[in-house]
Amino acid sequence: MQIKINGKKYSAKEKDTVLDVCRREGIRIPTLCSHGKLKREAVCRLCLVEIDKSGRLVTSCATKAVDGMKVETENENIQKARAINLELLWADHAGKCFQCKKNRRCELQTLAEEYKIENFHFVPRKGEMTSGEENELLLDNWSRVVVDRENPVIERDSQYCVECRRCINICPVSSYGFNHRSGDVVVGTPYNQPLDCIFCGACVTHCPTGALADQGDIQKVITDLDDTNILSVAIVDPVVLKSAMQELLEVKNMENLAGNLRALGCEKVFDLSWGFQKYVEAVAEEIHPHHARKKTPVRQRKFISSFCPSAALYIQKYFPELIKNIIDVKRPEELMAEAVKWEYAKREKIDPKNIRVILISSCAARKKLKSNAIDHIVTVRELGRIAREKKTENIRFKGSAADKFLDETDAEYATTYGYGNLSAMTAKKIKGDFSIGAANGVLEIKNALSAELKREKHYDFLEVMVCPRGCERGGGQSAEI
Amino acid sequence: MAKTEKILTKNWGHINPLKIADYINVGGYGALKKFVSEMKPQTAIAEIVKSKLSGRGGAGFLTGEKLKIVAENASHEKYFICNLEESEPGTYKDRMIVDNDPHLLLEGVIIAALAVGAHKAYLYLNGNYHKQKEILETALEAARKKNFWGPGIMGSSYDLDIEIFSGAGAYICGEETALLNSIEGRRGEPRLRPPYPTETGLFGKPTCVNNAETIANIPWIILNSGKKYAKLGATCSPGMKLYILGGSVKKPGVVEAPTGLTIRELIDEIGGGVTLGKEFWFAQIGGASGHLVTEKELDTPLTFSRDCPIPLGSGSILVVDKSANIYDLILSWTEFFRRESCGKCVPCREGTFRLHEIVSRWQDGEISERDREALKDILWTLENTTFCPLGRFAATAMGDAVEKLKILCK
Repeated sequence: MQIKINGKKYSAKEKDTVLDVCRREGIRIPTLCSHGKLKREAVCRLCLVEIDKSGRLVTSCATKAVDGMKVETENENIQKARAINLELLWADHAGKCFQCKKNRRCELQTLAEEYKIENFHFVPRKGEMTSGEENELLLDNWSRVVVDRENPVIERDSQYCVECRRCINICPVSSYGFNHRSGDVVVGTPYNQPLDCIFCGACVTHCPTGALADQGDIQKVITDLDDTNILSVAIVDPVVLKSAMQELLEVKNMENLAGNLRALGCEKVFDLSWGFQKYVEAVAEEIHPHHARKKTPVRQRKFISSFCPSAALYIQKYFPELIKNIIDVKRPEELMAEAVKWEYAKREKIDPKNIRVILISSCAARKKLKSNAIDHIVTVRELGRIAREKKTENIRFKGSAADKFLDETDAEYATTYGYGNLSAMTAKKIKGDFSIGAANGVLEIKNALSAELKREKHYDFLEVMVCPRGCERGGGQSAEI
Repeated sequence: MAKTEKILTKNWGHINPLKIADYINVGGYGALKKFVSEMKPQTAIAEIVKSKLSGRGGAGFLTGEKLKIVAENASHEKYFICNLEESEPGTYKDRMIVDNDPHLLLEGVIIAALAVGAHKAYLYLNGNYHKQKEILETALEAARKKNFWGPGIMGSSYDLDIEIFSGAGAYICGEETALLNSIEGRRGEPRLRPPYPTETGLFGKPTCVNNAETIANIPWIILNSGKKYAKLGATCSPGMKLYILGGSVKKPGVVEAPTGLTIRELIDEIGGGVTLGKEFWFAQIGGASGHLVTEKELDTPLTFSRDCPIPLGSGSILVVDKSANIYDLILSWTEFFRRESCGKCVPCREGTFRLHEIVSRWQDGEISERDREALKDILWTLENTTFCPLGRFAATAMGDAVEKLKILCK
């Protein structure tokens, strides 16, 4: 199938939309609601194109490519439509960028810049009012704003929301939906309850604006980093590297990243691989005895990995009868943070009180199940914010990779922990006739656990991970734009 | 204007709407009997196709074609829905049908549902129509006792279940896909099209959604043939239509008349002319979402045809005289759309909100340059970029006011 875009011929596949073709061919079309493979909602009305010179504008995300179709992606009307719709959205954001956690990482901001939305026709209507004067000015405009700071992971602030529905479509446990209607519409939880989900963080990576952002105060981290009396220890999960390259523009490898962290004020940078190795070893020890008693009933058998905190939360919420079956081994970062505060502090003769463990994490849910040994959990997005605050995001720091920790880690553990890696490493470690499975995503986890409960399947070890492709696409990673 | 036979209003005031015996006495359910005993579904649909009956909700899609698409679908599960949402301001024709002759509507629903092969029909009622719900419940119960619906209708092999579904009184739920969402228990907002409801509708099954007035025409067509119906009114979209006259006319109310009448005929001959002592300024055709018509366009005939410069829409005609305050009227339009937008797409959600905001600042006719510019932009984007027709409707009247009444040029 051939279609013409802006006078040039391109080939299109069956079921392709015009937007699919344009994205594949690198033709720029602005979008806010469409994202990757998510359901196409066609609500932002920015991806408008004109077809066959009909004079009518249609959304490219919802228009199927048809053989011989002639598409125009830029003309006066299209530009005008995009600019007006952007301005309508921008009205609630104008002047709020510097207080926003997604400043400079915001898709709306980028588009507003691109389409030169600088006129202020409207008064923002969404916002928290502070002064009486403001109150009077905004009386008619102010509508419902929902701010949720009840949980340690995801901060919701509906004044930044552009109602694109990405979070509604990505959420694996359907936490979000629409409340109210027309101009009062708020994306929120049922009955406006504080968010209580599995905190996988997928909604934050997909939110185009600052409506969904990381909870927590990076200023506290910065204070600790700047304090010279305190030994700041960064534990870096190697899986963050790819994502960190998007936040810290000059980072090309682990050495650069470690250099950047040192420049930010981390005295020591350790690789989480050490913790991963200890974790796998401990898990293997846990599984072995079960195997000896092969017919251990489900009730007594510990077989679900504790690695993914989001999965643990999922089991807590939806399979409470299986909580006891989660293997009682601390997660790698906990094992390592404790080692830093005990063995390492002892060896280096430092008072543990003066050590701050900062985990650079690909995972958002870890914040929810944080152990006391870890002082700060910093997602990759937050790392980017800290770097931008300290103006180091554009500098390339050379240097050595991670510092030496207590003992050497086997090279095989240094690989990134994508989905399936944990079960593979465990299988290698325990060797023998074990039934080892892996489940990725809420649906697979649900199926695997249900099968186990119905005795249709038997697992000696089950790796469960909520994020697609595991931590590589974790909820703490930088947004994929 | 020649006197023509009444189709929709023939029983109004002559029978007790709550008594099925009254309706049967004047020949009611005769069409259903004819359909069940003499006709095949295909022949019934062929009659409706021949009648060139078009949707009376406002869009004017050919009813016969719609029924045919659903009837020809091989799916075993199909639905038929009668749209009684009717929340366009100033429109109450469907309500009057239910009030005065509910069985006429029921008969049409039963015939049309059976013709498309549906085993379940819904009457989607506006959430504010409490009285009408009671009337329909009574009528349904009476009709069921007479075996006009239910299993084995009138001794035939036809089965049909009818359910009344009360919406929550949202304007957008009159849009057919939003209506489907509402019945399914989802948020009332339009769906992306294609797929059209005739292929993938209620619960993913082929569904036929028709306006109540459209359906009320069907018994007559079955009894008197489609050919005869096609001779009534305008040739491009024939038939009878309920007009709702309101505002500064001498005889306001719902009147049945053929399609294709000019606006002047409607106002002067049916409405009895403009109220004494008032001077005609403009008329709005088709509710709050309708176009404005000034003196020089009064001789345009109103039809459902796409070539018609002024669409007939829901059939409401609001006559405004020169003593009216245009800003109050505009404020009421914008308030309505600001409230009734579903909030799905950006231009409609934000646009209707800002439009209302600007208009509330503009009561005295003074408007700042900044607002004037923004107003024009918003009207343009509503007209051109919204997800569903509602956004376009929100701009119609206002756009006409700017263009024809020159309200911005003060």
